[in-house]
Amino acid sequence: MEQSSVPMPPPLGEHLRSPELRAAMLVQQEALYAAREFLRGQGFTELLPPLVGPVTDPGGRGAKALDVDYYGHPYKLMTSAILYKQASLRGFPKLFYIAPNVRVEPEETAGTGRHLVEFHQIDVEIAGAGRQDAQDVAAGMLTHIVEHVWTAVPDVLRELGREELDFAELRSGKFDACTHEEAVARLVSGGHPQSPDAEIDWAGERILSLEADRPFFVNDYPKGSRGFYDREDPEHPGVLRNFDLLAHGGYGELVSGSERESDYATIVTRMRESGENPAKYAWYLDLAREGIPASAGFGMGLQRLVRFLTGLDALWQVSAYPKLPGVVAP
Amino acid sequence: MTGLKAAGFPERAVRARARNGTAEVFPPADGYGAELYGAEAASGTDALDRARIAPPVFMPRRLEKLIELGREPGHDDVDLRTEVGGFASELPLFLSAFGSTRAGSGDLGVAASRQAARLGIPMVIGENMVPVHGYRRAGADGADGARSALLARIAAYTEAVPDGVGGVVVQQSTEDADSEVWNLVYSDPGTRPLLESGRLAFELKTGQGAKPGLGGMTVVGRAEGARLAGRFTVRDVLGGGSAADADPAGAEGAYLLRCATPGTFTEEIVRQQLRFMRNNFPKARTWVKFHPGRDVAQAAATAWRAGADAVTVDGAEGGTGWAPRVFLDQVGLGLADCLRLIAARTAGAGADRPDAAVDCLLATGRMWEGGRAVRALALGARAVGLGRAALIAVDEDPQEGLVRLAGALALEARLLISALGKYTADALDAEDLWWPGGGRTPVGAGTPAAVPGALS
Repeated sequence: MEQSSVPMPPPLGEHLRSPELRAAMLVQQEALYAAREFLRGQGFTELLPPLVGPVTDPGGRGAKALDVDYYGHPYKLMTSAILYKQASLRGFPKLFYIAPNVRVEPEETAGTGRHLVEFHQIDVEIAGAGRQDAQDVAAGMLTHIVEHVWTAVPDVLRELGREELDFAELRSGKFDACTHEEAVARLVSGGHPQSPDAEIDWAGERILSLEADRPFFVNDYPKGSRGFYDREDPEHPGVLRNFDLLAHGGYGELVSGSERESDYATIVTRMRESGENPAKYAWYLDLAREGIPASAGFGMGLQRLVRFLTGLDALWQVSAYPKLPGVVAP
Repeated sequence: MTGLKAAGFPERAVRARARNGTAEVFPPADGYGAELYGAEAASGTDALDRARIAPPVFMPRRLEKLIELGREPGHDDVDLRTEVGGFASELPLFLSAFGSTRAGSGDLGVAASRQAARLGIPMVIGENMVPVHGYRRAGADGADGARSALLARIAAYTEAVPDGVGGVVVQQSTEDADSEVWNLVYSDPGTRPLLESGRLAFELKTGQGAKPGLGGMTVVGRAEGARLAGRFTVRDVLGGGSAADADPAGAEGAYLLRCATPGTFTEEIVRQQLRFMRNNFPKARTWVKFHPGRDVAQAAATAWRAGADAVTVDGAEGGTGWAPRVFLDQVGLGLADCLRLIAARTAGAGADRPDAAVDCLLATGRMWEGGRAVRALALGARAVGLGRAALIAVDEDPQEGLVRLAGALALEARLLISALGKYTADALDAEDLWWPGGGRTPVGAGTPAAVPGALS
């Protein structure tokens, strides 16, 4: 397992008193301030996301949703609010959430340093937008956040060992891009066994991230590696109009995003392709039948962002109440 | 009644329908839970059973074995060990899913699991176990420490299976997806020994031999019907009668039919679902089960291309579960036809699929003895599944019944394979069969008829 040297959390009381957590929370509140400032400046409206619902993002990579008994109905805690983001577009064509998510991740992800069961996303959706538009917003927001934290709390970052120079390329607005196919080829030629049909695995993401000196987009993931709501490229069947944004320096994925599927019949078909029973998505499909606007959007992992900004080793160090996969914690 | 007669017409059946309506579409509901359904061959044989096993006179492979051993080989020299869907198996056998038939979900299922483990053969656990029986819950009372039918069977198997052989395969159908059976099983601490030793697989179930094109069906009492109505179609089509005998939960007095959806599949849906399984459960093997559809060869090829470790084809002779009579009698291809269609396609696929020879095909449908198993293997199957036969065997003797049944089958298989001058199960070939009318290709195919086989 990668990063097996990552330290494990101390008892909660001790963790809450640690100077690293205090520093991380100062950086986090500046990052949230900057994210809201940037998005509101671009005409976005902040909504508060739902916490439970009859269905949630079915996700992938073996992560589970938690069940809730809701007046006798089986409800789920939100693994992501993607379905609600799409549903909200008719009233709010540019919207965002700071959304709490719960994903019961496979236990083997406990050692990646990049997974928590409870985490937050800066969740953005834009009606009528394409992938490039979403990427522009993601890159603009990340640049603005980095600029802001280095202006607002530079001493905190330096105290944690961060150097301003590490962010120079990013702050000048330079982002690279490659396709999933190219990323797979690079990993395979370097001796890492990466499946061409799957998401880039954790170890592979880390390799790519360590090789880079600025953040980079990975585009065009294969169908079957992502949820039914990521739009398939009509020009290239089997390829999705989606992307990840990976940070440099070994920090890996910060953002997942995509153009969304909005055609009712295609959504139903894609649900079947991902093994879902469309009947349980009734509320969402009813709206899709009425018409959901075409859109693109993304979610930026808040804790992953703060870890990248602070340079701390593990995601639990930037969460006040960390829950690691497979570890029973308060 | 006026005494009107209609000689040469199925008068009795028409009168029964006139009296009992939709209840006559099915076998008698009061036999549910005590009878295993599925087709029985007309006049004792079906198309597969009509092929004769045809040893040659000249046996170059026996000479090879003679040279290897330095003595004349015998039937004990036949090695039946094989690889079944990514698992090592002591015999070219596996325990088939029993579906959600009540006969297969209680103590018999656990006894069959334990004996399959002792035999070192893989075991498939059927669909709808979780939506119908629950995951942690053993019964409606939810007693402390009680385990669901699914977990009880996995535990019994894991306790008894020797190292390095066997494996557990858990089906999920479209409705199971609501209960996320695979997710539950994959993350359950109880399955970790299987997962870590590479002996867990998930099977995408797209249909079954007994009722091709339909989903699972069970007979339930009113109380259970009300509980399941939110997730399944529950219909009052089985007529009256006291359900108390068959189902203690339904003491109010009538049987209901519970139907699961078969789910919708296209080539792309099968391909993507398999990819999704491999992505989400990278440590589990991927199996697929198809009903005996007319495009079963195309379906099998699609699954193998998408990386399935095993494709199971369930012939129309198969099944333990409840099914409408018309499906038991008249619907779906027989196993022989399925296997021949797949073999023909595989033979023609050589150029674009150089790995076709390693594709693992599994066959189920009325398997119980060595002759039929050897015929299926000769037509391209890697292993055959025991369903009804296994349940009857453990009903006869919960400790040793299945072990003895498999022992008899294995001895027959060794005798037959050695008589063909071969010494491994995978050496069997279509050349080893002789079809009625004289030849290496079958002529015509029988239609199986339905007769429930009562449990003793």
